[in-house]
Amino acid sequence: MAEIEPRWVLIVDLDRCTGCQACVVACQAENNVPTVGEHETIEGRWLHWIHIERYWEGEYPNIKARFMPVMCQQCTAAPCEPVCPVFATYHTPEGLNAQIYNRCIGTRFCGSACPYKTRTYNWLRPEFPEPLHEQLNPDVTVRSRGLIEKCTFCVQRIRRIEIEAHAQGREPVDGEIQPACVQTCPPDALVFGDLNDPSSRVSQLATSHRSFKLLGELGTDPGVIYLKGGETNV
Amino acid sequence: MTKRVSRRDFLKLTAGATVVTGLAPSVRRMVLEPYVQPPEEVLPGEATWYASTCRLCPAGCGIIVRVINGRAKKIEGNPHHPLNQGKLCARGQAGLQILYNPDRLKNAVLQSGGRGSLKFEPLYWSEALDILVDKLETLSNPNRVAFLGGLMPSHLYKLTTRFLSSFGSSSPIIYDLHSALEGRNSTVQLSESLFGSPELPIYDLANAEVIFSFGANFLETWMSPVSQSHAFGTMRQGQLGGRGFLVHFEPRLSATAASADEWIPIKPGAEGYVALAIGRIILEERLGQASSHRPYSILYQNVDVQEMADASQIPVEVLHRFARIFADADQAIAIPGGGLAGQHNGGTSMLAVQALNLLSAQIGRVGGVFLSQPGPTAGFRQNPNPGSFENLSILIERMKSGEIDLLLIYGTNPVFELPTSAGFAEAIASVPYVISFSQFVDETAARADLILPDHTYLESWGYEVPAPGAAKPAVSSQQPVVRPLYDTRSTGDVLLAVAERLGGQVANALPWSDEVDFLQELATELHGSSLGAYDAKTPSSFWALWRQYGGWWTEKEIPREPDISTIVQEPIPVSEPVFDGEENSYPYHLHPYPSITLSDGRGANLPWLQGAPDPMTTVCWGTWVELNPETASSLGVSEDDVVRVISPHGELEAPVVIYPGIRPDVVAIPVGQGHEQFGRFAEQRGSNPIALVASITDPETGSLAWGATRVRIEPTGRKKSLARLESLAGEGRESIG
Repeated sequence: MAEIEPRWVLIVDLDRCTGCQACVVACQAENNVPTVGEHETIEGRWLHWIHIERYWEGEYPNIKARFMPVMCQQCTAAPCEPVCPVFATYHTPEGLNAQIYNRCIGTRFCGSACPYKTRTYNWLRPEFPEPLHEQLNPDVTVRSRGLIEKCTFCVQRIRRIEIEAHAQGREPVDGEIQPACVQTCPPDALVFGDLNDPSSRVSQLATSHRSFKLLGELGTDPGVIYLKGGETNV
Repeated sequence: MTKRVSRRDFLKLTAGATVVTGLAPSVRRMVLEPYVQPPEEVLPGEATWYASTCRLCPAGCGIIVRVINGRAKKIEGNPHHPLNQGKLCARGQAGLQILYNPDRLKNAVLQSGGRGSLKFEPLYWSEALDILVDKLETLSNPNRVAFLGGLMPSHLYKLTTRFLSSFGSSSPIIYDLHSALEGRNSTVQLSESLFGSPELPIYDLANAEVIFSFGANFLETWMSPVSQSHAFGTMRQGQLGGRGFLVHFEPRLSATAASADEWIPIKPGAEGYVALAIGRIILEERLGQASSHRPYSILYQNVDVQEMADASQIPVEVLHRFARIFADADQAIAIPGGGLAGQHNGGTSMLAVQALNLLSAQIGRVGGVFLSQPGPTAGFRQNPNPGSFENLSILIERMKSGEIDLLLIYGTNPVFELPTSAGFAEAIASVPYVISFSQFVDETAARADLILPDHTYLESWGYEVPAPGAAKPAVSSQQPVVRPLYDTRSTGDVLLAVAERLGGQVANALPWSDEVDFLQELATELHGSSLGAYDAKTPSSFWALWRQYGGWWTEKEIPREPDISTIVQEPIPVSEPVFDGEENSYPYHLHPYPSITLSDGRGANLPWLQGAPDPMTTVCWGTWVELNPETASSLGVSEDDVVRVISPHGELEAPVVIYPGIRPDVVAIPVGQGHEQFGRFAEQRGSNPIALVASITDPETGSLAWGATRVRIEPTGRKKSLARLESLAGEGRESIG
C-alpha cells in the first residue's frame, strides 16, 4: 500500500465540454441509475448522478450558452455529512463522500444541506421491465424507494483497478482509474486522478490559472475542480 | 479399462447433456475472441470484454462490451480504435437497451389480421423463408421487387447487392432521415464534383486555428461526432501555445454553436452568400497567402459583396472582419454542414463554403481537408452511400402505380422518416406484399405483411469502413458479444438461405454457407498487409485478431490529399433559396433539427436516451417548439403554452420553450419524437416535425430541402408542463408540497 492515501479528484475542463450528454448516459449505465419517466421529471424528481447545467449569457443576438457538468463535489468539509442522523453519509480515508444505502432512512437532510443539489432521492421503486434488468451492473447495488443516492466517483471502478494492480504487486498508474463519465467523454473534458500524486495529470491541471471550485466561497473544499472556459492555459 | 456406470452417474450425465444442448447457439458455432484473453482459471462472474462496432449511427466507432456470465453489461469505446479512441457518445452508451428492449420481436411474425392490425402470428423460420421464396419465384418480372435500406452493415449491403443483381433486380435504394439531416448524399456529390471522389471529406479540426462551420453540427450528430468532438477538445486546449477559434453560422444556437466562440444567427438559405462574400473580399484585398488565390479568382467573378451583405443581412464590415480572420489564420477550415444541404440552394451553398478551403489552400494540408486513405482496405469500401430523395421519389411513384409487387425494407423507417407529403404511406398500401427485417414494430413494420427480425447489433456479425474515416485507414469489425436472446435471424443468412433455395444464378452468386463464411473470406484479404497494426502468421490467426481487436487499422497515419487538378474553373452560381408556403400566411421558417440523443427518431425507444435531457433546453421525454422571446411575446405565448404549428402540409401541437438563441423569424423543433409505433417508451409521445415538411428538393443534388418549409403559429390557450431539469422559477429542483 502507498504511504499516503490518494485524494481522488475530478477535473472538469469547461473549455472542452460540449454538453453532449455522453457522461450522463454512461453514468446511468454504469451505476444502475433508473430512468424515472416524464411525469416524475416534471415534478423535479429526476435521477441523474451527473447532469449538465446550461447558463444563458446576454440577449439575442449577442448571446452565449455555457455548459457546466455538475455531480457530487466530494467535499472535504461536506455539509451533507454532519446532518445525517444515522451516519449513512460517511467520509472515506480517500476523501470520498460515501453513501451507505442500508443505513439510509430517507430523511433527505443531506439533500437539503447539499449546496450543489446533487443528491437525488428515490421517490418510487425503480422499474426495469424485463429483460431490461439484464443491463444492471452486478458491481453496483440497485437502490430501492426511500433512499438518497449520488455520484460515488464510480468507487467500484476505483476498487476494481486497485485490486487488480495490488494483485500484480503495484500501484495503479495515473489515468488507469477512470469513472464511467471520464472514460466516455468525447472531448476529454473530464480527467480523474490522485491530487496527492504531484506528477499526476490532475495535479498539473489543478494548478492552472483557469481552475476554480464551485461555490468555493462556502468553504466546502470540493474534490471536483473546474477549469474556466474561453481562454488558453498558457 | 472398463468402468461401471451407476444409475446415479448415468442420470448426472444425461442431465449435463441436456443443459449443453439447451445452450447450443442458434448462430453458427464459432469461438468468440474476447478483447482481453482471459487466463485459463477465469472465474464465473468475472467480466470478459469483446470488441465490436457501434451501430447507432453510420459513423462506425469501435466499441468494447463488458460481458459477465454471457450477459452484456456495459458498452465503452474501443481505446485502440483510431476513429473514436476509446470515446463514445450518449447514443453509443445506450446500445444495451436495444439488446434488452422489452418490445423486441422474439421471432418471425405474420401480420395475420391485415396490415396495421398489429395482430401478429408467430412463424417458424422455415415457413417464413417459404413465403419469401414463394414471393420471389412468383414475380412476373425481377424488376417488380424493390429493396429499401437504411443503416446497413457493409457486408449485408454487399450480399444484398449481389443477391439482387443475380436475381435481375436493381440495387438496394438507401435512404434514411439521419443521413438526410446531415446532408450525406449532397456532401458525397460535392466531393465527387470537386475532388473526383464520391466520399465524405475529413476535416482536421484538431490542428485548425480557425473553423468556420456553416450549419455543421459536428459536436452533436453530424457525420462522426465522437471523433470530431475529440478533435474539438484538442483544438480547444491541446494545441501548443494556442486555442482554436470557432465561428458557427446557423439560424438557431445549437449545442455546437454554444461551444463556438461566435454564433452568427444566419438567415436560412443565406449561408452560401456569406461564404461567397468572404471569398470575394479575400481576393479583392489580397488577404492571407495571395499567391494561392490566382487559380480561383474566376470562381468569384459574379459576386458583389454589397449584394451578398444585403441578401444575408450581415453588414459588410462584419464580412470583412470574417474574411480577415479566415485569411490570416495559418490553418483555417470552412465546413459545409447538413443545415445547408437541407435548403433548396444547398448544393451551391455547400460549393461556396468548400471553395473557401481551395482559396486558402487548405486542401490536403495540416489543419485542412483530407480524404480517407483506403490503403489495402479498398476492397471493403463498398459502403452503402445514401441515395438522394429524388431517387426514393422514383420508387414511391413506381409503388403507387403498381409497378412493385414485393417490397423488402431493412434498417429504415420511411413511414416515420419521410414528410407526409412524400406519400410513402399511401404508396406502401399499393404494394401487394411487404416484408420488413426490423427488430421492432415501427411505423413501417406495422404496414408490413411479414416481419423477419434481424438480430440486434450486439448479437450480429459485420464490418464497417468508418466514413468519414480516421487519419489511419481502418475497418471496424462487428461480432456477437452475446448469444442471440431470441429466435431472430441474421438477414445475411436469410438471403443466403433464400439464394440456395432459388438455385441457379442466384445460388452461384452467393456460394457461402453463411454470412460468417463470407465475412471470413473478406476479412482475411487484409492478412499479410505490412501496414497493419498487428501481424498474424496465418489467415485463421488473422481472423482471430481481427475479432479480438475489433477490426484492422494501420500502424501509422496515412493522409490522403484530395485531387483538385480537375476542378472546373467557372464562376460559382449565386442561387436564391426557395421556400414552400406564402410568406404572408406562413411567416416563420421551420427549422427541424436532429436530437443529440434520439437522432432522427431511431433512439426514441431507449429509456436512457429519452431520459437524457436536451443540452440546450434541458427538456426530456417530449417535443417542444423553440421561439425567440420577441416572437413569443408578439404571439402572446409564454413557457409551456401549447401552440399549433401549421405548414401547408400538416400541423402539430407542442408546448413552447422561450429560446433566446434563435432568430425571430425561425421556429425550431427537434426531430425524434412523435412515434405512433415503436414500443412503449416511444409511442404516443411528442410530435414529428418532419411530417410538416414540403417534399421539395434541391435541384442541384436531388436532396430533400427539409429546411425550406414555412409555417404559421397559433396559440391554443392550453398549457402543458414539459419535463425539464431546469426550474423555470430558478428554484431548487423539487416542487414542495
